[in-house]
Amino acid sequence: MSPEILTYPFLFLAIFFESFILVTLLSKPARAARTRTSNATIPSVAVIVPCYNEATTVAATCESLLALDYPKEKLEIILVDDGSTDGTPEAMAHFASHPQVRLIRKENGGKHTALNVGIATTNADIIGCLDADSFVEPDALREIIPCFADTQIAAVTAAMSVHRPKNLIEHMQNAEYIFGITLRHALASINGLYVTPGPFSFYRRSTLKEIGDFRHGHQTEDMEMALRIQQHGYAIENAPRARVYTTAPESTLKLVKQRTRWTSGFLRNVLGEYRGLVGNRRYGVLGMLVLPVAIITIGSGIILFLLALFLFFRNIITAFSIRVGIPLSYTLVPHGSFDWFYIPISFYLLLGATALLACLFLIIVGKRLSKTPGNLALGLISYTFLYGLIAPLWLLRATADVTLGKHRLWR
Amino acid sequence: MSLVTRNVLIALLITLVLAGTVAYAVDYLNRARVAELSTIEDQLSIDTLSLETQFSLLEAAPCDSAASSTTLTGELSDLGSRLSYAEDQLGTNNSQVIQLKEQYSLLEIRDYLITKQLAAACGTKPVTVLYFYSNAGDCADCDRAGYALSYLRNTYPALRVYSFDYTLDLGAIKTLIAVTKVQDTLPAFVIDGKRSYGFTSLADLERRFPKGAIASTTSATTTNL
Repeated sequence: MSPEILTYPFLFLAIFFESFILVTLLSKPARAARTRTSNATIPSVAVIVPCYNEATTVAATCESLLALDYPKEKLEIILVDDGSTDGTPEAMAHFASHPQVRLIRKENGGKHTALNVGIATTNADIIGCLDADSFVEPDALREIIPCFADTQIAAVTAAMSVHRPKNLIEHMQNAEYIFGITLRHALASINGLYVTPGPFSFYRRSTLKEIGDFRHGHQTEDMEMALRIQQHGYAIENAPRARVYTTAPESTLKLVKQRTRWTSGFLRNVLGEYRGLVGNRRYGVLGMLVLPVAIITIGSGIILFLLALFLFFRNIITAFSIRVGIPLSYTLVPHGSFDWFYIPISFYLLLGATALLACLFLIIVGKRLSKTPGNLALGLISYTFLYGLIAPLWLLRATADVTLGKHRLWR
Repeated sequence: MSLVTRNVLIALLITLVLAGTVAYAVDYLNRARVAELSTIEDQLSIDTLSLETQFSLLEAAPCDSAASSTTLTGELSDLGSRLSYAEDQLGTNNSQVIQLKEQYSLLEIRDYLITKQLAAACGTKPVTVLYFYSNAGDCADCDRAGYALSYLRNTYPALRVYSFDYTLDLGAIKTLIAVTKVQDTLPAFVIDGKRSYGFTSLADLERRFPKGAIASTTSATTTNL
């Protein structure tokens, strides 16, 4: 049996899920969400910015919040310094006299504690979070608020992309984030979201009161909160045109560290406290499709990577053993002819290419529906050639951490 | 039916259609490959027959057909490479591949016989190698031997190498094996009528050739099919 056969179920599942996303995007609820207009209600809003050693970015983050197109008397910004050891307090102090901004300093206790302190100090109807390395478009809040019209909506997520990507790793993440815009928009229309990301997610205050404050959540407090919201039977919406730009890790090492935290947090939450959601019909598409596919995706990413490594090294060893002893002047020169006959097309390769093309198509869809500015060409290229090589590294690391019970520091 | 169930069913249908299209495309390409091989074999068969006829007609001056024989051997080599690739893609047990290999082997034997006849008539001494291999997983050194022969053919174009799958169930090959008395210790070589077995290194293989035999121009086939 060819080892390639092992990849067929995973590739089939990938194409199925992409098709499902596409069909869902074209369905009535998603179409309705895209045509959603501002309602007359203007609730009071507080945006909490938890800061830990964010001296270089917190001012720009706060400025972008102050530039939001929202009545000033209804918008409050709470900067919470979670015991920073750099110049963050000084950077925050520039906003001390601003009427819309409130500054809080506390001992370092983790992001969830900073959020909870902020929540405790406000009476706003809607509470938002924004990571201190992220920046919002002026109309972002106007896009978010109408999503709360339905009282079952407990939280609303925004459309994230990378802030001014420079190198290939950042461009790759930008494409991935924009793919996330498509996924989030489609899945939100059928209540299938399991994370309310740190950059610009909003919560109904009354729901937070009912289900409780943020928790440590295995260093993924945004995922834990989203799962808890779903567990309590509420829904999570998405505003695909509420654009927020976040700073992405600029090196592979930092990226792998960040994603290891995300992936291990996901596994610990979903296989731990929220195991009851997986495969449970009561939680609809989230329980029956999204979470199982997310878990399988982690496994398939590892298996496909290891399989690719095995095939690569097997072919290298075979090629070497066949050529050993033959002069390099012959072995290093290609001897095949360029003819259609020799095009190496196989079921495995074509199925993989189909899955990749569908993925790239959904990324382009995400850029268009969110109207995210910038050129995506480098993002698509780096996503095509790099993502499959780097992602398995954090999948393997996170899976190993969870299996071995290893816990890593945030940074 | 709920919206999600409907979407799941539609997505499943799309996936099946896409996977089916991919399977059809791959099958279409493989069939096109087999059709091309078949066309080349048919053409080669006609060319071989033409050469044999030419050989018979020119009894008084048989050496005039030597040039045609050389061209045919080159085409046979290209066919061998294509057939080897098709076998990799379709599998060694594919009935069409087996049939094409049988036809290819017959063409090789006919070319070998013509070469011998021409050599006898014209007084030339082409170096011929009959190379027997197996793809059944019982010949660990066959790939290395095939590659070394490819190198030799490339370096010494005078070599005429004919490769045969020892396990192929074809009467002509069985007869060739019986005539040459080659045993089933593979890889096996018949170099200028001398039998030898096994492959250790290129240098060892080169030593099995007659002195000064590997140094002028023609072409041959060396691919493990």
